[in-house]
Amino acid sequence: MFAHWQIRSALLALSVLTSVLACTAAADDTNGSSGLTTYRSTVSEVRVTFFATDESNHPLASLTKSDFAVVDNERVVRNFRSFTHSNETSLDVVALVDLSESVAPRLRAAMSDMLQLVAQEQSIPNDNISVLSFGGTLGGTVGGASSSFRPAVLCTSGCRAPDSMSKLLAMKSGGTTPLFDALIFAADFISQHRHAGGRGDARPVLILFSDGYDTISLHSAREALQAVLDEGALIYSVDMGKPENQSSNEPWGNQASGSMFLRRVSDATGGRYFFFSLGSSRPDGAASVLNAVIEDLRASYVVTYDLPSHQPGFHSLRLLPTHNLKLTFHSRTGYDYEPSGH
Amino acid sequence: MKSTLQLALVLTSISMALAAPIGIYQHGTVVRMRMGDCMLMHRGFMNQFGPPQAAAVEESCPEYTLVTDKVVFLIVGKSSNQLVPLAEVIDFRLVNKELAVRMDDARKESKFAIKEMTLRSEWERIQKHIEDRLNDSSHQAVDTSMALRNRE
Repeated sequence: MFAHWQIRSALLALSVLTSVLACTAAADDTNGSSGLTTYRSTVSEVRVTFFATDESNHPLASLTKSDFAVVDNERVVRNFRSFTHSNETSLDVVALVDLSESVAPRLRAAMSDMLQLVAQEQSIPNDNISVLSFGGTLGGTVGGASSSFRPAVLCTSGCRAPDSMSKLLAMKSGGTTPLFDALIFAADFISQHRHAGGRGDARPVLILFSDGYDTISLHSAREALQAVLDEGALIYSVDMGKPENQSSNEPWGNQASGSMFLRRVSDATGGRYFFFSLGSSRPDGAASVLNAVIEDLRASYVVTYDLPSHQPGFHSLRLLPTHNLKLTFHSRTGYDYEPSGH
Repeated sequence: MKSTLQLALVLTSISMALAAPIGIYQHGTVVRMRMGDCMLMHRGFMNQFGPPQAAAVEESCPEYTLVTDKVVFLIVGKSSNQLVPLAEVIDFRLVNKELAVRMDDARKESKFAIKEMTLRSEWERIQKHIEDRLNDSSHQAVDTSMALRNRE
């Protein structure tokens, strides 16, 4: 007969052996054929491209991840997955020019700046500069059209050619202003242009010359903005309204609704607002705006973080300073989140 | 000798006066921020019952949730551009029913109206309840729009 302690020891040994075998079997199952344990989970990550400017409105070349926090749908996010310089190295520039009657006094100067933009900036390939227009009347024979206020392509992938230049000079202002329709037209153009030329790595930038007023569009301002946001394009608006209506440095001070619209769409896409001046110094001509676009591109960063809330729908987005309140961060102001299966 | 002593006394007093607020600061972390209405700032008989003011209607003010060890404050800025630095920890003190936030690297403060005060334990309980409800309604999250990217 076995003693009681012997029975207990045998049972204990059997129990340990069973446990070890069970664990080994489970590990074999988990390892599979590769011999490595694989854990699978799905993580949603938000990716934001942005740049920062100082109190002088100059982009900051050096920035650290402790300089800012992200406010995503009201939640403050400080823990980031990654923070790097943007790898976008080129631009796909689309200039959209308002030719309506309300900007007539400043059209010639705007056209002159436009030519300067097209001709001087050699860092942007010829294929990556296009000029679109809306409103006004066509003095030349662009696209065979005689007269129309509808948005039109003035030149693409060859705007530096002499005949394109002459087309731009022949533009005459007048008529109504389908601004919102023109923005949707421009968004479609950017989409087609991107797919046609394989410009996936180029940042689409829409330089909008307008006074910000719309008089005849079929689409709403919201639809127009959404179309541009969907293409990931940044709007750099050049306010061609009357000087007394143009927005000052005060973000929401007393300003005309046209200027306010321009500032809002620029901010919403992560671009910037400039005012157009006919004065001798003319600080915000097209060439200086384009310089700003290029500087902003070089000073751009990408931050990624875990989705803080799985609430479907629009997530508002804002980047704010953690220490230096004089810094301004420019990024799109939100994104749509739709969980899979919806 | 007497003048030297007086000078030393004056200098000591000034330095103590400048340093005094530092010791009384409490610490907290801003966990939420939203733009809300500025009505809290414009309360008063004339503002409530007088003619509408366009500026007050248009303007929105930042609202922050400031979490401290024991209390959670909901504070509201007095204008749209009154910001709190969103550092991990901020210093603040209570002054005449307002909350004064110390600006980083500066000897100035920015004062905010206190909209709500809640015990932290109570606030956490409410937050957990909200989180649970949100998680129940939308548990899975994958494959979002252009701003989101999936990772395995």
